[in-house]
Amino acid sequence: MTTPDPILASVIQRRLKSITEEMGLTLLRTTRSPILNEARDFVTGLYDENGDMLEQTEYIPVLAFALQPVCKRIIAFFGGDIHPGDVFLHNDVFSGGNQNNDVAVFRPVFADGALVAWAACKGHQADIGGAVAGGYNPDAREVWQEALRIPPLKIVERGALRRDVWRMVFANIRFPIVEDDIRAQIGGTAIGARAMAGLVDRYGIETLRAVREHLFDSTERRVAAAVEAIPDGCYRAESIAYYDGVRDGSEMEIRLEVTIDGGRATFDFTGSAAQTPGFVNAPAAATASAVMLTFLMLIDPDIPHNAGLFRRLEIVNPEGSFLNAAFPAATTFGNSLTGPISDAVMRAFADALPKTVTAGWNRFLGFALTGNDPRRGRPFVDILFLALKGGSGAAWAADGYDHIGLINCAGGLLAQDYEMFETQNPVMLECHEYAVDSAGPGRWRGGLGVETALRILGDDVSAVAFGDGIEDGARAFGLFGGGDGARNEAVFRFPDGSVRTARSKEIIRGIPPGTVLRQKAGGGGGYGDPRDRPARTVADEVRDGVVSLRAAETRYGVVLDPESFGIDRAATSTLRGRAESDMETEND
Amino acid sequence: MNRYALGIDVGGTFTDFVQIDEQGGGRTLKIPSTPHDPSEAVMAGLGELAEAEGLATGAYLRALSRIVHGTTVTTNAVLTGKMARTGLLATAGFRDTLAMRRGMRERLYDNKYRAPTPIVPRHLRRPVRGRIDYAGREVAPLSLADVDAAAAAFSAANVDAVAVCLLHAHANPDHESRAATRLRSSMPGVHIAVSSEIMPEIRYYERMSTTVLSAAVGPVLDRYLAALDRHLAESGFAGALLIMQSNGGVTTPASAARRGAATLLSGPAAAPAASLSCLAPLGERSVITIDMGGTSFEASLVRDGKPSVTTSGTVDRFAMALPAMDIKTIGAGGGSIGRIDAGGLLRMGPDSAGARPGPACYGLGGTRPTCTDADLLLGYLAAGSFAGGRLALERSAAERAIEHHIAAPLGLGVRAAAAGMYRVMNVNMAEAIRAVSVERGHDPREFPLVCAGGAGPVHAAMIAEELGMTRILVPRDASVLCAAGMLRADLRHDHVRSCASPFPPPVADAARIRSLAADMEFAAARQLAAAGVPVERRRFAHGFEMRYAGQYHEVLVDDVPRTALRDGAWEEILRRFHRTHELLYGYALNETGAEAELVSLRLRAFGLIDEPAARPAVAADRPPIKGRRSVHLPSRDGFAAVPILDRDALPAGFAGSGPAVIEGAMTTTFVPDGFDFAVDRLGSLILDRVKGR
Repeated sequence: MTTPDPILASVIQRRLKSITEEMGLTLLRTTRSPILNEARDFVTGLYDENGDMLEQTEYIPVLAFALQPVCKRIIAFFGGDIHPGDVFLHNDVFSGGNQNNDVAVFRPVFADGALVAWAACKGHQADIGGAVAGGYNPDAREVWQEALRIPPLKIVERGALRRDVWRMVFANIRFPIVEDDIRAQIGGTAIGARAMAGLVDRYGIETLRAVREHLFDSTERRVAAAVEAIPDGCYRAESIAYYDGVRDGSEMEIRLEVTIDGGRATFDFTGSAAQTPGFVNAPAAATASAVMLTFLMLIDPDIPHNAGLFRRLEIVNPEGSFLNAAFPAATTFGNSLTGPISDAVMRAFADALPKTVTAGWNRFLGFALTGNDPRRGRPFVDILFLALKGGSGAAWAADGYDHIGLINCAGGLLAQDYEMFETQNPVMLECHEYAVDSAGPGRWRGGLGVETALRILGDDVSAVAFGDGIEDGARAFGLFGGGDGARNEAVFRFPDGSVRTARSKEIIRGIPPGTVLRQKAGGGGGYGDPRDRPARTVADEVRDGVVSLRAAETRYGVVLDPESFGIDRAATSTLRGRAESDMETEND
Repeated sequence: MNRYALGIDVGGTFTDFVQIDEQGGGRTLKIPSTPHDPSEAVMAGLGELAEAEGLATGAYLRALSRIVHGTTVTTNAVLTGKMARTGLLATAGFRDTLAMRRGMRERLYDNKYRAPTPIVPRHLRRPVRGRIDYAGREVAPLSLADVDAAAAAFSAANVDAVAVCLLHAHANPDHESRAATRLRSSMPGVHIAVSSEIMPEIRYYERMSTTVLSAAVGPVLDRYLAALDRHLAESGFAGALLIMQSNGGVTTPASAARRGAATLLSGPAAAPAASLSCLAPLGERSVITIDMGGTSFEASLVRDGKPSVTTSGTVDRFAMALPAMDIKTIGAGGGSIGRIDAGGLLRMGPDSAGARPGPACYGLGGTRPTCTDADLLLGYLAAGSFAGGRLALERSAAERAIEHHIAAPLGLGVRAAAAGMYRVMNVNMAEAIRAVSVERGHDPREFPLVCAGGAGPVHAAMIAEELGMTRILVPRDASVLCAAGMLRADLRHDHVRSCASPFPPPVADAARIRSLAADMEFAAARQLAAAGVPVERRRFAHGFEMRYAGQYHEVLVDDVPRTALRDGAWEEILRRFHRTHELLYGYALNETGAEAELVSLRLRAFGLIDEPAARPAVAADRPPIKGRRSVHLPSRDGFAAVPILDRDALPAGFAGSGPAVIEGAMTTTFVPDGFDFAVDRLGSLILDRVKGR
């Protein structure tokens, strides 16, 4: 192998990245269901002939780190039966997938008759068959009640659609829109494959292979440097996921031991709770994705994403726990365990990387609404993303991000536009604003959560609740003296005046038109002693109505005039137990 | 007496002037901007131009028939936070929409990345009860008491501007109009921006953000234009003053001040028009234009005479959804700093050394290696003739910076490191061109490349090579291209009406489409009449924003003829929608039975100007060849002695072959081997890739 020109490596890395971005842009514009084109729940990537990641662009990270292993499985399964013009589908969680609804499309790239690369698009489908529209089924006990399983499947053979196979797949999926979305994903891989072929044509495969090794090494070096900055040793943390949807009061513990040893990090989940009877289970790929996306938050955000990312990391996750459920477990909730898993990772590194970790992020509570839209006489389905987006955890020198949403998405989850939302669904919003005192207090406060009220106007409406964060212990945790964020909460008020507080996993059926859902998404955890937050900042937030007068006093130790919001210096000093001048030190 | 027209482009660093006259003469001028009061540089430049014409300033101004003015005064106000103190009236329960920006964090894994400070603080975002539904029906009546309470709060806070943005005002503006009327009478002198007047289009956040931006820059623009108008009038100017907008057209000062947001992305918006006029001798109507300055690089595309336009622009991370030239901007310029990242890869930009300390070779204290330092070591720039010889470059400083930061860490020689920097810059800029071409369904190889800006022509040929583009044009006035383009921009006003309907539309919707289109034409005609545009110079272009049911993004079916509207040629419009979708995204759903829907109607209204005569090239009477020097040739990965030509001494028709370096007063062009070059009758330098290479 030749030593590559370091300049060429920079050039090709830039080009690979922009190919994955171009694929993503294509998907944003061509997919039809809101979870893809609004919530951007997809990822695009390029892989080499061995299935190793060349470059990837995550729009939402949680589904992103299962592509490389699945690509390898497709190669292993089809072996010599991979040809130019072929296209493959995959979603199966028992052969490397992270969630049933996340369907990946892979397209091989050939040069001079040899397989040289793969282009892939993976996205969350609006439906994937199974017992419940949309896929979130708290009543499921095994995978077949959740989804159609698609193990490595050739859907296009040498450029010709396998029409019979296509029809079989979509005969088992409710919404025709999914067919169009898969078509859009196939189109996205065509864009990526064409650009990749152009790159091979221009530089030659030998040069590209040399550059690839250089890029993998380069990313590995940066990961190694980040890991080496952490003192060798064992870091332990626990975190709890609440309610498995079956057993009242159930709590599932996550036990994590991170070992840092000579520039390598091992994440060991041995001892975590056994798999649950319901759908609150993760496939191994979902747990691995959760670890990866949290780890990426702890290192330089600009590191190129390729196979070099994984070389210094190892995950030990024995089968049979709820973080690596054995066949044929139901697992649709697995992606949603990212919150509790990330909590464990952040906590484990809190003492080693105090200026890098964040306090806890709000664990979301979400609803998928399905029913009939009487205005059009047609069924509708929508996940109420705008209502589930709480705040992120605060970090050293940074307040949490308001209304950012679950950590799975790392800020990539777009809330619906109200006007488009009401035009496309039989609902009317009554409010969607920051929730007062939702943020965990701290020297740096958590991100704000939101309060949403919406009137349901559809017929035969069901709401599928899926999420976490309604128990006190599930609040976003504060760090180094910071307070916890507010809880999640959702209450249905029916037209007859009766009310029902939703559990975190359940299906509420027969919701009559006129029902109002009032939901609060909690805020993120605070960082550092709230009494170290500048009193002026607290006063401004009281005037802005996101912190109450009472919280200013009881949580931050800042006493304000209720009319002018002027700071009562004397009373504040007494409460904070220190002189005023100390309080006004600027946050850096 | 000779009459003049003048394009003035006020940028952050320089104020550019391009003057043309009735007799085909012309003049350009570039002077430093005066950011504390931009009109100072404008008046100073007018004085210089008058002197050059041998006239007193007053006489010169009286001879000016038209000034077209591009200004970054609004953009700078946003970027520096010096906007008007602004209040927002929002539907009760939705006052955080502006701050939330739909809950996006643009940098996924960066937990220290903060949201931008909302332009209106929360305590000045006031709720008003009342509700319109998605179809425009009133669900709850407007509370004028809430409007009055908000007005009292705004007055107590001494706001200078108020934005009014209520839910579904795109479908029914009644509540907004009544609230605005109430505010206008109770808060005289305060700038009131109303969403249904500025942009009656569905999407609450985008409309709110655009309305707030309009409100916040409105008073700033008002004050600036009033001062300029006064200065000009006092000095004798009695011609027409027109303002450049983000959409590539111009408008009257009064109309610009009403929709302040429409000027926010106007800086580079005149470049496409200027490029087209440069290409006229070649009969080209499609072009990709690039502009590379000290800190940023801009790329835009024109197809068949029509520039790409976007409605998803942002200003300081807030949405600006009025139509704007679709211009991709990246942090790449002469000042872009090179560095080796922690993984050993060479990166160029986006950090820039700016004008101060500037590149290391400026000798002003900069120690980081920049693109200009590399260009100097590669021989593209000469130490003695940079920027017309006004700034002597220090070669040793450039060598030191590149050796220390790039060459040593990579184990390369200084020249090889400089060549690497040059190459990475070119790739970065080529990617920006891909963003406006390939990503929009256009093949860049089908377009000529027009290259503007001081730093661009050194890189243009190698950027073109990256993309397989074969023809490059460097205009004579490359360093003041936008100012030249302003003189060629038509008056333009964009109108939009929300109009949700299945497509083809049922009978009732068809009637509504016709009536909304007619309503827009009526409003547009009135606006053009007010600007003094006679009927025969007015042009209207109707557009349909359409999508497949369930899609989030619309596709614009543009230039729908009036007859198609009148005759209800919906099937033809639908066919065009499928075709456009196919072109943009590689597929259409015309055979799957997917339903199409109409989302909005657009109207572009033009007042056509007289295309000014192009000014022929005049060459200085000097020998065209200045000498030879050692220059890096990428094709050979080495240096060779290359002829250096004097751009200003090349007559029309002059032709030659690369390699060559062509030095002008403001720009230097590198012609690599494998390219031929020629000077056309307008003085543009045309580079053509030799076929068969």
